Amino acid sequence: MLRVGNNVAPTTTTTMISDEALMLEFQGGSHPAFEQLFARYRGPLYGFFRRRLNGDQRAEDLTQETFVAVIRASARYEPRALVRTYLYSIAMNLLAAERRKQFRDSPPGELAPEPVTNDAPDAALWIRQALEKLDDSEREILMLREYEQLSYAEIAELMKLPVNTVRSRLFRSRMALKVYLEPTQKVSRAIAAGDETESVKLTRAEGEAI
Amino acid sequence: MNKIMHPIEPEELMAYLDGELTANRTTATAAHLGECAECQRIVAGFRGVSQNLKTWEAKPSKPATPPAIAPALAEDRPASRNVFAQRRSWRKVFDRGWARFAWMGAVAAILLLTIGIPTLHRHATLHEFSRVALSPTPPSSLPVNGRNFQQLTKLSPGVAADSNGLFHGQGDHAEASLSVNGQPAADQQSKVLNGAMLAPMIIRTADLSLITKEFDKARANLEGILKRHRGYVGELKAGGSTGSGRTLNATLRVPSDQLDATLTEVKTLGRIESESQSGQDVTSQYVDLQARLSNARNTEQRLTDLLRNRTGKLSDVLEVEQELDRVRGEIEQMEAERKNMSNQISYATLNATIAEDYKAQLQVVPPSTSTRLSNAAVEGYRSMADGVVSLALFLLSNGPSLLLWGALLFLPARLVWKKVRRSFAA
Repeated sequence: MLRVGNNVAPTTTTTMISDEALMLEFQGGSHPAFEQLFARYRGPLYGFFRRRLNGDQRAEDLTQETFVAVIRASARYEPRALVRTYLYSIAMNLLAAERRKQFRDSPPGELAPEPVTNDAPDAALWIRQALEKLDDSEREILMLREYEQLSYAEIAELMKLPVNTVRSRLFRSRMALKVYLEPTQKVSRAIAAGDETESVKLTRAEGEAI
Repeated sequence: MNKIMHPIEPEELMAYLDGELTANRTTATAAHLGECAECQRIVAGFRGVSQNLKTWEAKPSKPATPPAIAPALAEDRPASRNVFAQRRSWRKVFDRGWARFAWMGAVAAILLLTIGIPTLHRHATLHEFSRVALSPTPPSSLPVNGRNFQQLTKLSPGVAADSNGLFHGQGDHAEASLSVNGQPAADQQSKVLNGAMLAPMIIRTADLSLITKEFDKARANLEGILKRHRGYVGELKAGGSTGSGRTLNATLRVPSDQLDATLTEVKTLGRIESESQSGQDVTSQYVDLQARLSNARNTEQRLTDLLRNRTGKLSDVLEVEQELDRVRGEIEQMEAERKNMSNQISYATLNATIAEDYKAQLQVVPPSTSTRLSNAAVEGYRSMADGVVSLALFLLSNGPSLLLWGALLFLPARLVWKKVRRSFAA
């Protein structure tokens, strides 16, 4: 019986075995090793899919598919790269396949440019909207850095880009996002203060600036 | 931001926050941030962006038991995974992309090795054979150097060599010819060995390349020069094709003291293209060889005395005889080496190349049409016959190998073809 839970965060592990050691143990047949890996990465992988796709269930399914792919490919695993990078590369492949599938299944002209979650919490909606204004590649790099906490080198490996390119795109995306987020914050603050005129004025001014 | 005022770029400030700077740059950035309000503002901006992004949380809401993973784990059976990998069928291994190419490459390499090596070996042998066979055989009465002697003895069983390594024909003809040339080689050798033991022993070699307008005359004169200086032809090749000049390559052996005079006369046969001379001092080698030979002979004498005067067990006698045989073998080997060296010292080598200064002549009367047609027909027939013979030879020589490999590779190739066809269809 598999006993895994999302309440087991990586930071709570007292004797921290590295992901690579766990993967090798699992390769040797240890189910508990896989359970530990699952506990460590289920949440992050779910977040990875959830922030990029519509629907809670689909994100859950793809998270499981990622782990199933790891199980099936474990015999071929070689500890040349970090397990984290390995997992996210599988996840990115699954994500790309999912997007292709969505593209095929959607009727022509009805395809949304990027996934927009209508079921996202209100607090995150303005973040999503700001992110959507970014260039695809820059958004992906920024999200991998901010949410998946990958290093520049890991992002470079996943995106097949030079590290310097990753750094410069990350810089551009952060600067742009800062601009996109600032007016929204001001409007939010103005609305909270009950000054509707001020909020309309701000919105116009920021709109022109952007 | 001005770089003169701010030694740290904004991009580096971002990398600093991400922990992606080197230790030195991290220290420098931290120090700069402590005193630069503008950079602090930029860093605060980056931090603000990150904090804003963190407000978008995405955590799995469902309980932890994943429905799809437990069956996958059960199906996977990690404990038996290695055994499963070992028992993986050839077809599965073969189906992998990289394995397919590696497999095909290995098959191609084996085929190349199987067919190519015997073919290359045969070609090399044929080339060597044709090279030796096509070179003009030197007069049987004349000695040649050891290398060509070995090649020629393969082709001419009636030809033999004496212990000096010199070449002789059958019967008395060789001796008569040598006496015509003047002093026999053995006399020359003994003269050198007995008369000038203390003088430096030099193996002299000269290379001379000439161009002459009167090729036939030059060749006749060359033979005259050799006779006058008591030399002989070591190797001689003459050839040429229609439309180009003839060439004579000759390795001439002349007594060392006659080399300079011979060279002077040979140079008069044409215009000099190139000339070089070299000398190898083998005095120490010769003296060393003599000493070893003398020691070996003493040993042989002692062993002979021992065998003659002492009596003992049969096994001891046999042992002494074996040792005697070994010493005699060494003596013979050293003796041959000494004679060869003496020959090289007493006779210098002159490599002469005489090329004809050819002038192309205008062909006034072209061949008639009927002749050309006849020639073309003959050529066509010949090439067809050659092609058939070549094909027959190829099939005879490589057919068994091809059949064997074809039988071995038929099934794998069929599998590949089916796989490729299936993938194309898919």
